[in-house]
Amino acid sequence: MNDRVQSPGERVTRTNPLAHVFDELSRFCRSRSLFILHYCTGCGAIELPPAMTSRFDMERLGIQPMVTPRQADILLVTGYVSVKTLKRILLTYEQMAAPKYVIGICSCTVNGGMYWQSYATAKVLKAYLPVDLYIAGCMPRPEAVITGMRALMDDIAAGRAESWKRYYTHYDHYLGNQQALFGENWQTPTDVLAEARHYGLLGERSEGEHTALLERHQQPLEPLTMRLRAPAGGEEKA
Amino acid sequence: MRLGFELVMMPLLAFVIGLLMVLLLRRIGARLQRRVGPPFLQPLYDVVKLYAKRTQVSHGLIHEIGIVMAVGGYVATETLLPVPGMNGLADKGGVITLAYMMMVPSLGLALGVGQCANPNGSIGIARALTAMLAYDIPFMLVIFGAAWVYGTTDLSEIIALQQHGAWGVERMPLLALAGLMTLPALMGKQPFEIYVAPAEIATGPMVEMGGKFLGGLFVMQAFQLYTLGVLYATLFLGGGENWPLFLVKIFAVVSIPMTIAWLYPRYRTEDMLSAMWRWPLLTALLGIAMVMI
Repeated sequence: MNDRVQSPGERVTRTNPLAHVFDELSRFCRSRSLFILHYCTGCGAIELPPAMTSRFDMERLGIQPMVTPRQADILLVTGYVSVKTLKRILLTYEQMAAPKYVIGICSCTVNGGMYWQSYATAKVLKAYLPVDLYIAGCMPRPEAVITGMRALMDDIAAGRAESWKRYYTHYDHYLGNQQALFGENWQTPTDVLAEARHYGLLGERSEGEHTALLERHQQPLEPLTMRLRAPAGGEEKA
Repeated sequence: MRLGFELVMMPLLAFVIGLLMVLLLRRIGARLQRRVGPPFLQPLYDVVKLYAKRTQVSHGLIHEIGIVMAVGGYVATETLLPVPGMNGLADKGGVITLAYMMMVPSLGLALGVGQCANPNGSIGIARALTAMLAYDIPFMLVIFGAAWVYGTTDLSEIIALQQHGAWGVERMPLLALAGLMTLPALMGKQPFEIYVAPAEIATGPMVEMGGKFLGGLFVMQAFQLYTLGVLYATLFLGGGENWPLFLVKIFAVVSIPMTIAWLYPRYRTEDMLSAMWRWPLLTALLGIAMVMI
């Protein structure tokens, strides 16, 4: 409930002469240790077990599955995203710890694929959250998945995979697309603008008409009341 | 001066060896599944990456103190474990203090997870503490039996006794066997990992841990493997005469539970209790009876 984000914001002046060495080290370690959170509601998920098990073995590259957004680095969206699942994807994405990366697997995440005409499908994943990498195909083979992972690793090591910052700097754009899909009273538990401020990433395109709309509709989050239901016959206790 | 050096060096060495043990277990697991497994420095990459995360979500002071207790408990434990050339506080502490110190991390974790207020975490930690109840009774009996045979609780003296006579495993084979049977549960390895259960309760105690908090738990796991390996080698395998032999012994000890881990399906909590309170406990009691008669 009272989560607070801890790490200090980007300092403008860096006094440590070894700061660049540490940056290099952490970028390298980030690229060599990737914990994946699978969001496997699409058919592309079927290509991941072979990519992880003995035939292709992603652990060689330091890639491991993890089960909660707090622990994960990569959000892997495999296949089509319905309007309902997109809400869960956004909730998950906002809970992940930066730096975080999003990979869209299969054509459906690129442009809707075979669900192009579906009324219930969010076609273009990168309209709603920043995507680092698409692995196109219907479905991409494990070789393609691993090639994509290697490309992401190179990007991370070179410091190019910084799309998580884009969610903060262009929040108004992403929020606008989300509101267009979910309605104007859409909100998530995460205060994205406060996080943007914390990281020093609040740009001129972070706020706009959509965040103003969000502020109008935002309701404070209340903790859920705990209710114990007594066995049949007993009275309900609050 | 010398003691201060040892107090710094012993946890540091334990950390490095512990990371190598994590690598060993992951490699064994991979080979059993006919995979290649992670590269040599993978445990280090994981820890550095987790500490280098930009977002560190804390759920409050107790959450942080819990992790400090989890790691600190093991750091204190390492200073009580004699290694070749270094005794640290081993002659002042003894095996009883050591057994107490080894409980501190679990309790710290329970505190920290409690403040996360995640139901999966609470279920996980409740299971973890029940598991502690299951394995600590045979574990304590094994320690008691060993201390009875050697006539001392001083670990450095236990090592000296074994190096001038027979190893513990020869003098009390049943107790050594009971210790080995308890080891998978102490390590939280496969048949006894219901409290982690990734697909069911989303890694239980670790569910709300990210960044440096998860990094702390990774460090804790490295220490845990090292502690158990060294303790077993000290009680039953003659401790360390020199570093190469010592390393062979402790790595062999921790690799045994992993090589048999995937033979068993995961036990439920009550099954774990009945398994732990039946076979290792009976073996340990028989072992004690044998050495006492």
